[in-house]
Amino acid sequence: MEEPASAAKRISYFFIVIVFVLLALSFISLYQAVETYMKYKTADFTTLVLSVGAITLSAYLLMQMRKQPMKLGFEPLKVFTTVQCSNCDFKNTREFQNGDFVLKKAEACPKCNTPTFVSSIYREATEEEKK
Amino acid sequence: MISETLSSLGQSLGQGNDILGLIIQVSWLGFFVAYMFYGQRLQIKIMLKEIESSLFKLQLIRDRGRIMAISTIKEISKTNDDLEARVDRLLEHLYIPPVELDPSGIIKRLEHIVDVREFRFKDEVKLMIPHADETQVNNLAFMLDVVLELNQLYKLVRHFYLSGKKTSSFYIILQLQMILPEIMKESEAYASALTTFKAGQPIGDGIGALVAARLMNGKENREIARDVVVSEVPIEGRTVYVLKAKGPGGNGGKPGEAIRQILEEKEGKIARIVIIDAAQKLEGEKPGEVMEGTGVAIGGPGVDKFKVEEVAAKYKIPLGIVLIKEGVGDVISAMRKEISDSVDEVILRIRRIIRETTKEGDLVIIAGIGNTMGIAQ
Repeated sequence: MEEPASAAKRISYFFIVIVFVLLALSFISLYQAVETYMKYKTADFTTLVLSVGAITLSAYLLMQMRKQPMKLGFEPLKVFTTVQCSNCDFKNTREFQNGDFVLKKAEACPKCNTPTFVSSIYREATEEEKK
Repeated sequence: MISETLSSLGQSLGQGNDILGLIIQVSWLGFFVAYMFYGQRLQIKIMLKEIESSLFKLQLIRDRGRIMAISTIKEISKTNDDLEARVDRLLEHLYIPPVELDPSGIIKRLEHIVDVREFRFKDEVKLMIPHADETQVNNLAFMLDVVLELNQLYKLVRHFYLSGKKTSSFYIILQLQMILPEIMKESEAYASALTTFKAGQPIGDGIGALVAARLMNGKENREIARDVVVSEVPIEGRTVYVLKAKGPGGNGGKPGEAIRQILEEKEGKIARIVIIDAAQKLEGEKPGEVMEGTGVAIGGPGVDKFKVEEVAAKYKIPLGIVLIKEGVGDVISAMRKEISDSVDEVILRIRRIIRETTKEGDLVIIAGIGNTMGIAQ
């Protein structure tokens, strides 16, 4: 097997530099547009639109870079175990514990003292799955 | 105010600025000509970039899976002897199906190869952890099988990616890009399966086994075929042979062989065979939906399906199926509540089928198919 991939998310430093240069130039350009307006009372709309657009684009790119590491599917799921009495209607649901399996004998029923058993083990669907 | 604004905008882009207009027109024309000649290349570059990012994710999943399998084995075996090299060797394990040029006897040959492969995986786990119990061996063998699948998927995608890049073939890259979402969905399901297999929790595929386990709860059972147990359960005045794979370790067993065995024992005097299994849902269907039908619902390479079809045809026994619908991601991840909750409805349907299609005193077979991980008997 070849070397395992090391980083959870690769970000190119060259790309980061480009974004910051773009951001700096946009602010300079915006400053010049504002200064021109203050001096001559004439708005330079082309510069204004281009610099605001470039600032928005750079901000979007920076936000994309700050995104959470990608989900790979290894995230632990919330799994529950239902314990049921074989004699009365007692039922109890708790978090899954290592070693649980369906039909495993469990503790005595608090209502009638008969041994209980694991009747089901399940997980709740995630919001994404429910869509 | 508005008119002032518009007039200043007009001045900026206005008629006086002829050179700017010319530059825009020439660049537009240049862009159009360049796109005509290099458009497809540009598209290939964009597609390759997308595939590259999926390939990177696939590599991360494969590597994380490998590390998880190795650490689980280390945890149980408590040694470091040559484990990584052994696991890596297993991950490159190849399976070559039997020759199809002469189809006669192919099922027997296929069964032999599938059995040898399964034993090889279990033997490797036993060599790494000599003191492991049956449940641990089965679960770890399944874990290794999943990592092997991830490795194969990764290598296949990488092969087509590199081939497409080397030849700049639009069609190779296009085909890969089209199937990539399905491959990614499948690989994420495998990743989720590893966490589930490590904990030994029941998976969606085990719903058939779960129904059988509920029916056999509290009854004596015996091993009728390799890794398959059967119980005699009285239901609606009939004697029902309920069978499932032997749990709670991950196991599919040989249900086809078990059904054949019961039929031969009873000389074909069985009124009906009902098979319960998970089935892939279509988009729009709900997970846990229950459906009925006719035929043999047993997945895998087809050996067990063939055996049941053959023996049922020999003794002319009606075959019924009860299917529980679930998505691709649900099959090998921890069982969803909706799927687990369908057990009661399946049992009601089984009772109704038995009442309507058989007479009192008849013998019936109910087979709960699927991986019985986390489900005992």
